[in-house]
Amino acid sequence: MTYEEFADARLGALLRYAVMLTGDPHQAQDLVQDTMVRAQLHWRRVARSDAPERYVRRMLTNQFVDWRRGSWARRVFLRGEPDDSVPASTDHAQSAVDRDQVWSWLSGLPRRQRAALVLRYYEDLPDAEIADVLGCAVGTVRSSISRALATLRAEHVEVC
Amino acid sequence: MIEHELRATFARHEELAPPAGPVRAAIDRAVHRRRRRRRVGTAGAALAAIAVALVGFTVVVPRPPESVRLGALPASPTPSGAVNLLLLGVDQAGANRRADSILLVHVPADRSRLYLVSIPRDLLMPRPGGGEADKLSWTFGRASGETGNLTAGYRATRQAVDRLTGVPVDAGAVLTYRATRTLTDSVGGVQVCLPEPVRSAHTGRRYPVGCQRLDGTEAVDLLRQRYGLRDGALDRDRNAARYAAGLLRQLREQGTATSPVRLSRLISEVAPTVTADTGDLSLAALSAVVASAGGADPLALALPVRARENPTGYGFEPDPVLAPSLLEALRADRMAGWVTAHPAQVTRLR
Repeated sequence: MTYEEFADARLGALLRYAVMLTGDPHQAQDLVQDTMVRAQLHWRRVARSDAPERYVRRMLTNQFVDWRRGSWARRVFLRGEPDDSVPASTDHAQSAVDRDQVWSWLSGLPRRQRAALVLRYYEDLPDAEIADVLGCAVGTVRSSISRALATLRAEHVEVC
Repeated sequence: MIEHELRATFARHEELAPPAGPVRAAIDRAVHRRRRRRRVGTAGAALAAIAVALVGFTVVVPRPPESVRLGALPASPTPSGAVNLLLLGVDQAGANRRADSILLVHVPADRSRLYLVSIPRDLLMPRPGGGEADKLSWTFGRASGETGNLTAGYRATRQAVDRLTGVPVDAGAVLTYRATRTLTDSVGGVQVCLPEPVRSAHTGRRYPVGCQRLDGTEAVDLLRQRYGLRDGALDRDRNAARYAAGLLRQLREQGTATSPVRLSRLISEVAPTVTADTGDLSLAALSAVVASAGGADPLALALPVRARENPTGYGFEPDPVLAPSLLEALRADRMAGWVTAHPAQVTRLR
């Protein structure tokens, strides 16, 4: 598979995945752009792996989780944490506000936990594959997810 | 319950994703910029690494390579075995550019010293597609084409050298006249010691027997000369090795290799004129390898050849006895033994 074919087929999906991770379209674009630049510069190595898509998703996820190390992280610092710049709207119907509260609670989670949630509930990956993407054991994936869900449930209870 | 809400939340926010088209274009622009920057950056660093290695000092390359973290992959480890670099000196710009000087720099695994092995450009090579053999130096021009694409020319020559010698090339660089001129002037001239006088067929300038300091223009002029030399292009290759040895001596005497400030100035002056390829090695690994091969002066020799009749004119073929044993020694990293057994093959450098 060439880089062009890969980008034609997968770029949209990667952008959506990055939106779910970061919660912000601009940061999602930065994250995808950074990852895809590296993927293209090293395409031979990416293409040699048995599943380029999984490989790139792992690159992107690592970049997001290891935010202190990458150039992307420096931009995050400059822009502030996700959602800071988006004021909560009061014009929405109450139900919409409730629903979007789940979205804003997500930004309070540790990055690794959020990534695990996105991989399971958005990408619908089995736990073994989530473990592969995050580079940890299946048990760790499950405990991250259950801890994340517990945090969200607690927020939920507080509000209701 | 919360799981269900999560799925719904994610689905609802899909529309936040930016359109792919502009992102794609931005990626391609960034890649283009990075490739250009990387080429220049690696060229300078690789050159510095080679210079440092030849001079025999361990220094930190002042402009570290761009670290490219690729997912969870480990960085390329510092190779512990022998390393081979390919340096090509090409003639002036235009169509049918030739690689007139082809130098294989061999760094043995014990890092005891460097071996500069010239590969004669007039070696006749079987064409990949069959048909009449042609010269190794032409490989460069055929691949670089009308536009003078140095990277393509380098790649094709590297493949040809690989086929010819079986010696794996790990990294390399292309030097133009301009690069050589800039490099020479940047270090304040290079002393070259000649065993025979040379008269330039291009400028009429005379270079007497003995040691002399050459500026950039003179160095390029000398390195182009083969008419009037007893062994023609083979003697030119020997002069190129003498120039390389003189350049390294100059760097050592100036302390350029030990001064990060001087080295970085040299790199910034020379880098834009050099095209380099660091292959699968990271620059850090490459620098570490060559920097550790210090100590002794480099040893220069040439792939032994003999003349061969050829319908398209004059050319060489590898010497049937000496060439295979030299190549075997290169591949097996036993150069010290080979040089001891064949002292007559070593080029006198000063």
